[in-house]
This record gives sequence, C-alpha cells and structure tokens, in this order.
Amino acid sequence: MGSPENFRQNESMSRVDLDTRPALAPGVRLQADPVSGEPVLLYPEGVLVLNETAHAIAGHCNGQARVREIVEALSCAYEIDESTLSADALECLADLAERNLIVFKP
Amino acid sequence: MNFRPYALLAELTYQCPLHCPYCSNPVGYPQGEELSTGEWKRVFGEAARLGVLHLGLSGGEPLARRDLTELVAAAREAGLYSNLITSAIGLEQARLADLKHAGLDSIQISFQADDSALNDAIAGAKVFQRKLDAARLVPENGLPLSLNVVLHRRNMDQLAKIIALAERLGAIRLELANVQYYGWGHLNQRQLMPTREQVEAAITVAIAARERLAGKMDVVYVLPDYYETRPKPCMQGWGRRYLTVNPVGHVLPCPNATSIPGLHFESVREQSLAWIWNDSPCFNQFRGTAWMPLPCRECPQREIDFGGCRCQAALLTGDATVTDPVCTLSPQRDIVDRIVAGINAETVEIADWTARRNP
Repeated sequence: MGSPENFRQNESMSRVDLDTRPALAPGVRLQADPVSGEPVLLYPEGVLVLNETAHAIAGHCNGQARVREIVEALSCAYEIDESTLSADALECLADLAERNLIVFKP
Repeated sequence: MNFRPYALLAELTYQCPLHCPYCSNPVGYPQGEELSTGEWKRVFGEAARLGVLHLGLSGGEPLARRDLTELVAAAREAGLYSNLITSAIGLEQARLADLKHAGLDSIQISFQADDSALNDAIAGAKVFQRKLDAARLVPENGLPLSLNVVLHRRNMDQLAKIIALAERLGAIRLELANVQYYGWGHLNQRQLMPTREQVEAAITVAIAARERLAGKMDVVYVLPDYYETRPKPCMQGWGRRYLTVNPVGHVLPCPNATSIPGLHFESVREQSLAWIWNDSPCFNQFRGTAWMPLPCRECPQREIDFGGCRCQAALLTGDATVTDPVCTLSPQRDIVDRIVAGINAETVEIADWTARRNP
C-alpha cells in the first residue's frame, strides 16, 4: 500500500511557521456558498464559513507558496502591515491545521 | 421560519452485495422504478439551488449504479461536495480513478469488524479482503478516506482493534455508529443491542482514542440512545438541514421516515424539490416546535434535541407525535427501560438474526 502516514500529516508536522508551505488537505474544497456568497471550505461531513482573512489565506494555500510569501502578497494587496498580518496568518493556519483542513508541505 | 437544507442523501439503489442485519433501508421496499440518470441530475441541480452543499451518494450499494461516474460529474457541475458511501465492493482502481476524475470529493467505506471471520459473518458475504484492498486505494489516489463501523453486541468488544484498523488504513475520519433500531435493526434488536457493560467499556475506548488521535483522525462516536437519558437531536430537527431522496424518487425528511404510518411522501417525479422542502405537508409535519406535545413543548431542551426521533416515537409507541420515549421525561420511558432490561438479561447466538434481503 502507499503511505497513508503522509496523507494527513501527524501532529509534529502540523506546526506552522513562516517557512512552511500550506496546502488544502485532500478532500477540502474552497468555494463560494451559492446562497450567501460567503467563502466556505467544504470537507467530509462539514462546512466551515471563512472570514475575509481566512478566505484570503486559504486561497493561497497551494502547497507551493511559503507562509512568508503569502503574507507578503496579502500585505501588498490589502495594505496591511506585514508583522500584524503574519501573526494573524499563523494563527489562522494553526486553526485550520487543527481542524485537519490544511496540511504542510516540506 | 425558512430552513435551508445543507445535505442531500441520495439513495441511488436498494441493490447491495451485503446483507447486514442492521441495514437502514426499509424492510418493506417501496414499489417503483429506480430514478434514471437524467432524473438524478435534475435533482442534484435542484438541490444545489435550494442551498444543499453536501451530497451523500448511498444506497444500497451506489457502485451498483453503472452511471455513478456520470452522476458524480453532474454533482460536481452543480457545485455539490460529493461523498461516496460504500461497502467498497466494486471499488477497483480503474473505477476509482474515473470517479476521482469526475470530481468525487471523498469516500466513506463501511467495515463490519476488524477481522474477516466476524466481518463476513455480519455482512453475510465474503468481502473483508476486498474491502481492505479497496480502502488502501483511496489514500493512494489522493482522496480522503472515512471508515464507518456500525457497533452492536457482536463487534463492540473489538472496538480497540477496529480503531487500529482505521489507523492502519490511513483514514482521516472514523465513524463509530451504534446500531439504530429501525427497519432491519429493529427486526434484529434482540440480537444486536449491546449490554450496558459493553456500552460503558466502548465509550471509554472511544474517548481515549479520540484524544490520542486528535489532529490525525477524527473519531466520531454515535451513542446508543436507548442507554441515554435524553433523546438524540435526530437529523438536527425534522426538515431543518437534511433531506433524503430514495431510489424510487420519494423525498424523505430522514432515511427511516417511511416507517412512520400515515405520512405521504412526495416524489421528485411529480413535484419540485423546492416545493417539497418548503411547502409539502410531510416536511412541515414535525418542523419547528408548534407540533410538540408536552413535556417537549415547554422543555428548555426543545431546540437542542427537537423532541428526539419521530421514527422511534412511532416505532415504540405507535404514535409519531409523542416525545421520543428514550427521554426520561417521556411518560412512556418504561417501554425503553423494559427493552434494555430484557436485553441485559439474555444471550443470543449470531445465527438468530434476519439478514437483509435485496428487493
């Protein structure tokens, strides 16, 4: 069989810092709720409505960009101070990771 | 008040290679032709427009439908998140790749136990190895795997080993669901209901696993409600969040609702899903709190458990409008107490149960 251990990361890998590359976990889908227009993450047996920050961050979780690069891009786009944004981003990513909605690529 | 359905359970067929004695399908199958590919596609579109986000593709065994890949593609096109709820029989690499390509989002596989002898005895078919093989393919193909194991008298003592199996298979979610006593499960209640001692031991194991596996695998434990003091918030309330369309096109507020005498179920062949959800007598029968009897009507928990389960009330008391007798505030709780006392006093062999039959 393949390596299910790598499929959803274990706790030691779910720690997030500016150099990690977040990706939506397999089976997690970001889309707009067709009724409310709000951004939602859909996953097995659940729905999470995202706030504006979480939406912006989740939209950049492609497994390629490092958290540092995501923060730079958003800081530019939203004209928010980078240090404030990186604290928010790390908190948001840790929360999503705890819910098993994102994973971190090496 | 307006309610929005979030999840549609699409029972695509009653055909199934397994014969589990607790199957949630009705014992007496409704008459009629299975919905066609085109009819299901239309239903998915209507559901999405009503607000549905999640689609459960179930049965019977949904893989028995040759048009499953086409249905998955239609679900994706409608913007629905699709979850295949399967025995895994018929889930081979080529088919799985097709389903993924069509946009399938996740797969839930049932196991009856953690070893082939017991698994196959419960399923009534030699399927354990095929389930293992199929389950391993799911993460290999980059899809999230959930396991569902229905717990009862005969497999509950293996719970720790069942959890270990889910871990080995790389499941991200394990649903441990105690048998619900409707349909086939009700028919086999004496054979299936665990003892109080079994239930207490299992809860301890499940809670420990949930803590140990936090962040790796969600362990969801559905309590055996006969051993509870308050009823389950069945379907999160009648006509509030969920709807089921059965193989012949009837729309049900819950998968077991056909067990309630006197309810008329509308068909997607005759009415729009929006009308059925919003306006049909069936979906409004037990919606909200106005229908509630005492003690529910004045109970501070009425918006928490919604009076419990209508099917259970009907099955145990003959009256779907009374408080779920699982509730200790119900004047009819003695019915549940008698059943539980009887179960805890007897021993029954596995061969005694009635295996599920196909239509």
